[in-house]
Amino acid sequence: MSFLPYGPWLSLAALVAVYFCIDRVYPRGLARFEENAVAVLLGIITLVAFTQVIARYGFNSGWSGALEFQRILFAWMILFGMSYGVRANIHLGVDAFIRLLPRPLFRITAVLGALACIVYAAILLESSWLQLFGAKTSGGAVKYWSTVYRTGSGLDEMKWPQFVVDLFGAKERVQRWVAYLMLPVGLALLIFRSLQALVQIVRGDRELMIAGHEAEELVAENRGVLEE
Amino acid sequence: MEPFILFILVLLFLFSGVPVAVSLGLSSMIVIAFFSRDSMSSVALQLLDASQNYTLLAIPFFILASSFMSTGGVAKRIIRFAIATVGHFRGGLAMASVMACILFAALSGSSPATVVAIGTIAIAGMRQVGYSRDFAAGIIANAGTLGILIPPSIVMVVYAAATDVSVGRMFLAGVVPGLVAGLMLMIAIYVVARVRGLPAEPWKGFGEILNGGKDAGWGLFLIVIIIGGIYGGVFTPTEAAAVAAVYSFIVAVFVYRDMGPLKGKPWLGADDSAAARTGFSALVYGVAFFFVWMILSFFVTFENENITIGGRAIAGGLLGLAIMLAYGFWRGPRAGTRNLLALLAASLPVWGRNLAMTARTFLPAIFHEETRKVMVDASKTTVMLMFIIVNALLFAHVLTAERIPQAITDIMLGAGFSPFTFLIAVNLLLLLGGQFMEPSGLLLIVAPVVFPIAIKLGIDPIHLGIIMVVNMEIGMITPPIGLNLFVTSGITGMSLIQVVRAAMPFVAVLFLFLIIVTYVPILTTWLPYSLMGPELVAK
Repeated sequence: MSFLPYGPWLSLAALVAVYFCIDRVYPRGLARFEENAVAVLLGIITLVAFTQVIARYGFNSGWSGALEFQRILFAWMILFGMSYGVRANIHLGVDAFIRLLPRPLFRITAVLGALACIVYAAILLESSWLQLFGAKTSGGAVKYWSTVYRTGSGLDEMKWPQFVVDLFGAKERVQRWVAYLMLPVGLALLIFRSLQALVQIVRGDRELMIAGHEAEELVAENRGVLEE
Repeated sequence: MEPFILFILVLLFLFSGVPVAVSLGLSSMIVIAFFSRDSMSSVALQLLDASQNYTLLAIPFFILASSFMSTGGVAKRIIRFAIATVGHFRGGLAMASVMACILFAALSGSSPATVVAIGTIAIAGMRQVGYSRDFAAGIIANAGTLGILIPPSIVMVVYAAATDVSVGRMFLAGVVPGLVAGLMLMIAIYVVARVRGLPAEPWKGFGEILNGGKDAGWGLFLIVIIIGGIYGGVFTPTEAAAVAAVYSFIVAVFVYRDMGPLKGKPWLGADDSAAARTGFSALVYGVAFFFVWMILSFFVTFENENITIGGRAIAGGLLGLAIMLAYGFWRGPRAGTRNLLALLAASLPVWGRNLAMTARTFLPAIFHEETRKVMVDASKTTVMLMFIIVNALLFAHVLTAERIPQAITDIMLGAGFSPFTFLIAVNLLLLLGGQFMEPSGLLLIVAPVVFPIAIKLGIDPIHLGIIMVVNMEIGMITPPIGLNLFVTSGITGMSLIQVVRAAMPFVAVLFLFLIIVTYVPILTTWLPYSLMGPELVAK
């Protein structure tokens, strides 16, 4: 039985299930893992970029795959960060108007906000379900990833280190599907976190999907330091 | 038809509390799904491509650099330098706050960070010498907006990525307007100070300026690396940003020791002898000069093949040695000897102690809890901004695919818009939009629409970019959604209405500034053109 076409879906479902279980048992540990993951990605990109500058201008050498490596990690950071951002409540939005609504209506709008995020990620993952509503579209991240996986094409510049080639008999170039893995994974996690936020809003544990402005945390840390 | 649905969907989502990024992305996807033949796979690919944009990769690096620079001590040093420089005028403390905001803006691309870092210290200082709370808060809220006009600026990187103009030119273009805006605020303060009889600080002499500048210099050198590197053609803006991020980490942790394992440990102890102190300073000046020389001469002579790294090192080394000798000769008598070797020998234990300490804590510093916190904060901001940006790029793509910019261009040109009236329209559109949207996202939506019109009308792309940035600035200090208002109100405990009223007189100054910037293009184009030549844009 081949991995495609259902393998990716099963794997994503399994991943979300595992994520859900860990989140139930060690919510703090998982939160710290997510924080560290994006921070480490940022750290690695910065260090690679910096050493690359030094190598190029100082010693006239460098690693040809560095640029592609940085760009892929950057994409990973953003795609993984989408779901992390929902949990950490850092996604910006306009809350000025819905805060004027009466309480019950406000809650309903907040739930719709979470629903919009789920629909967003769901369409991107696979859009053919929109045909139920008369759209003419199909395909999505999973389909695209599956195509890349099937053709097995390699990246432009990045190569596996020699020992990986020797040990695992890998191809010389890093396969494209490895680099693009975070696209479906990030979207699946975004659905999971948005669903979680939706439940929290319904239960009254969380107010909104959005942060009113980008400096909410900064202000909270320095609230009233100059109060007289 | 589709354009209307697109815009109505976005506004509907936006105002009903859907995250900005999802509002833009979801409405684009709905329009694609229902009105075009594009497969959603290609949309997913676009999202992936947008997240890999090399120009935008500069954004996390600049955010990281500014996070390390915002860790406390740098702001204090900059304020000291600013007070020493302009504090002795009437209303000097307020003018120094503006100057501090300008300098801090050159280290950080973010306005709220500038308000918090400078505001927490400067507002308290102004209150102590008798300024009213409203006056102090109004100044900081306004001067803090310079963060996005003075390079490095995240909004400028976003504009450059959206319109394919060069980031380096945008940065250079922001310098003169940034200084003019600061100057205008200072003049307004001086006038108010004269009328109200606000106090002046005592003049502490040029020594204080020199000492303050020396102390703040490590931080301020960051801007030299960024601008010098880009202008000299040495770095791409993204590379310059990466170097800036690592540099600010090293300065914050190992030079200023504001954070990390060395926090609070001074370079010199109380029991070090006078000779050791003098020798230590002499060596610091010599070595610091050598490095500054090496970096600057590299920027300047980058393209000259006759000048080798060895030649520059020898010249720099000799000059550095001369500086050490001169310093020893000047300050030596206080330590009892003018013999440079004796002074340097006395300072060896100090160096040994400090270098050993740095070496010992180098790895721990990278994994220190405070470093982790800065990294996490920076990555949060990055994720938040980039999620909006990639979706705004998707939105802009749909706009272009639907040929909306062309349609609007035809309508506008058909209606007989001149450059003059067009710029009024752009300003109004941006001022209105800036009330509700985060700057980078708004810019990415508006830029693809107005950019082609501006080019047709013969408006300079760099000039247009700066006009947009100044509009974003004003959006930050006007209600209902003015980021700097929220931050100022948060740190001072004043209500939002009070802050709005306090900021109002200076907002008028910024409006005047906007008009000047809009209709005096030479202000923005002079510096980038005289240094880098005109921007070429394919029409």
